[in-house]
Amino acid sequence: MTTPPPTPAATVAPADVRPLRIAHLYPSLLNVAGDGGNVTAVVRRAAWRGYATAVTDVGLGAADGLADADLVFFHGGQDVEMEVVAADLSAKRDALHDAVAAGAVVFGVCAGLQLLGHRYVPSAGPALDGLGLLDLETRGGPTRFMQHAAVEVDLGGETTTVVGFENHSGVTRLGPGAAAFGTVVAGAGNNGEDGSEGARAGRVLATYLHGPVLPKNPTLADYLLALALERAAGAPVHLAALDDTVERRNHAVALRRAMDGRGQVSVLAPARLARDLGGGGR
Amino acid sequence: MSAAPRVVAAVAAGKATAAASRLTGRGGGTSLPGLVAERISPHLLGDLLAASATRVAAVTGSNGKTTTARLLAALLTGEGLSVGHNRAGANLARGITALAVSTASWTGRLPDGVLVAEVDEGALLEVTPQARPAVLVVTNLFRDQLDRFGEIYAVADALAAAAARLPADATLVLNADDPLVAALADRVSLPVLTFGFDGPDSLDALSSAADSIRCPRCRVDLTYTRVWLSHLGDYHCPSCGFTRPQPDVAVTAVRVLGSDRTQLVVRTPDATVDLDLPQGGVHVAYNAAAALAAAAALGVAVPHAADSLAGVRPAFGRLETLDAGGRAVALAFAKNPTSFNTTLHTVMADGGPRHLMMAVSNTGVDGEDFGWLWDVDVEPLADRVEHVTLAGLRADELATRLKYAGVPESATTVVTDPVAALDAALALLPHGERLVVVAGYTPTIQVREAMRRRGWTNRYWQS
Repeated sequence: MTTPPPTPAATVAPADVRPLRIAHLYPSLLNVAGDGGNVTAVVRRAAWRGYATAVTDVGLGAADGLADADLVFFHGGQDVEMEVVAADLSAKRDALHDAVAAGAVVFGVCAGLQLLGHRYVPSAGPALDGLGLLDLETRGGPTRFMQHAAVEVDLGGETTTVVGFENHSGVTRLGPGAAAFGTVVAGAGNNGEDGSEGARAGRVLATYLHGPVLPKNPTLADYLLALALERAAGAPVHLAALDDTVERRNHAVALRRAMDGRGQVSVLAPARLARDLGGGGR
Repeated sequence: MSAAPRVVAAVAAGKATAAASRLTGRGGGTSLPGLVAERISPHLLGDLLAASATRVAAVTGSNGKTTTARLLAALLTGEGLSVGHNRAGANLARGITALAVSTASWTGRLPDGVLVAEVDEGALLEVTPQARPAVLVVTNLFRDQLDRFGEIYAVADALAAAAARLPADATLVLNADDPLVAALADRVSLPVLTFGFDGPDSLDALSSAADSIRCPRCRVDLTYTRVWLSHLGDYHCPSCGFTRPQPDVAVTAVRVLGSDRTQLVVRTPDATVDLDLPQGGVHVAYNAAAALAAAAALGVAVPHAADSLAGVRPAFGRLETLDAGGRAVALAFAKNPTSFNTTLHTVMADGGPRHLMMAVSNTGVDGEDFGWLWDVDVEPLADRVEHVTLAGLRADELATRLKYAGVPESATTVVTDPVAALDAALALLPHGERLVVVAGYTPTIQVREAMRRRGWTNRYWQS
């Protein structure tokens, strides 16, 4: 009598995994340019493989659904929203630290990246305290980095190129406790100088690539999904392959655009107006 | 008395440029004449205005500038005023100068009357010192090309700075239902006239595209009792007491009867007006209220308003229905999540769209960052649409967006070139059905121009 060989997918069947708990931080405040697409991407890619998800919107004053989350999204916002969020973070600090200690995956974008660090020091006005989940600090800078960007990232031993759009004037420096999320291929990255882009420490990852970065980077989306599902399943999860033709074509177009603009700081002159007026995300 | 020789020469050169570029069919001379004329006389706009009794009514804001300006021009024309209007939407500084040039006589004189000038939010600060508007209308502030304007608070700051430079007797016409716009009244010491809705129940829910839903004074989340369009509604701040001003000109009832007809009742300080407009959408009611408020601010009584507005067809690409060789094509220009959502809601009111083409391109005019497509509520399309053709340089972002909204991949086709995409979409269009095209600025121009060449439509500057 022979036993069938175990298939990788058989580690835990999708139907046997409890719903993936996703916490979406400040969805009404941090929605600067379609960042919610990241949540959509993970939810859809889970559903296409038979995994259930439960998304909790975590707004001002609330912390429900944070401490036991498997995956936390912390997106970008405009200056005013970022100040409101920073003032509210004390309500979430303990729950977020607990979640990370318990193995939650955190994905931060732009203002989220900055507030996952120790602090944000603007050119004028008081500093904003961050969560200290990433060893980094950000200062307001004179230049607005606003362009298509590409980053070479190592995701679990696989090197891949993540593409997107950056729009920030914050200058971020990493401390010894954080590694870069990736290396700049095109764009300014954390500070326009050292070639680092974003930051990561353990299961906390953050990037300046704002907006819907996961839909056009399915490899990154699946990396985050698999990490988070591992926690929900209590065992490593093998994600079935999907037909990503549409996503990969989108990725290729964005990468070409980023490479065409290599060496630029900003794609558009009229942005001067916003910069002069101190606008834009940080 | 005749104008200074330099002014006359500049006007003549501008007019000649406009005529030449119309003859060669290159864009109808919408802003090039302004450039030529300014080369000869750099302060031409200010000089022309200073030498006449013409008043300028400027219309700015994120959405609805073009339609509001068209409605205002029609209202004023209907009362017998001499009106100049930058109808092709050439709304940067040069376009305003071109408007003055086209309105002026060959001797460099502007007729007594009103120049209705649609002004880009980004150009307002530059235009104001010369144009010295008697009335400035702010339609609304929606997120629009973040990579261009930075953020809507910066746009509000720019509008406040421009408003501070208005003549002391100018009137601000503000959207009462838009918190950030209404709060501009706090920041200037000018007379203010407000417009908005009063009466209709909620017509919308706060969408993910909503922008300024926090208190402009204290940044606390506003409480909305009614929402009429995105973040336009009846709001108050639970913390500092900031409250929506009572609109001076108020839409008290509105019925959208499809994508080409809207009925509404508007209460002005003088009268109650019943309007029946050949354009579809809640946003059209806002635009009409803004135009009526602007006329009131100019001190122009509008007893013929209903007749004047009944003939105002959609502006270029504002859900205008064109005859494409026997097939109906509704062309809608959409530049940000709110205009995309508004257009989709309007065409869904018709039970459609079953056949759709969507096109966006990243260019200097359209913006580079199309992440906001993920804030457009395309999910309702998933079980209505039969086929979607996707076009433009960012067609693949659209394709990704639709895939994640649940539109089957078998129901979508990507054809990057917008004109080839139009042909592909028309080839799939069953007899008797309508194709709805929702597109950004550059693809709209490309599609419109291709249709014109085939004799399917007029040139846009004539519409």
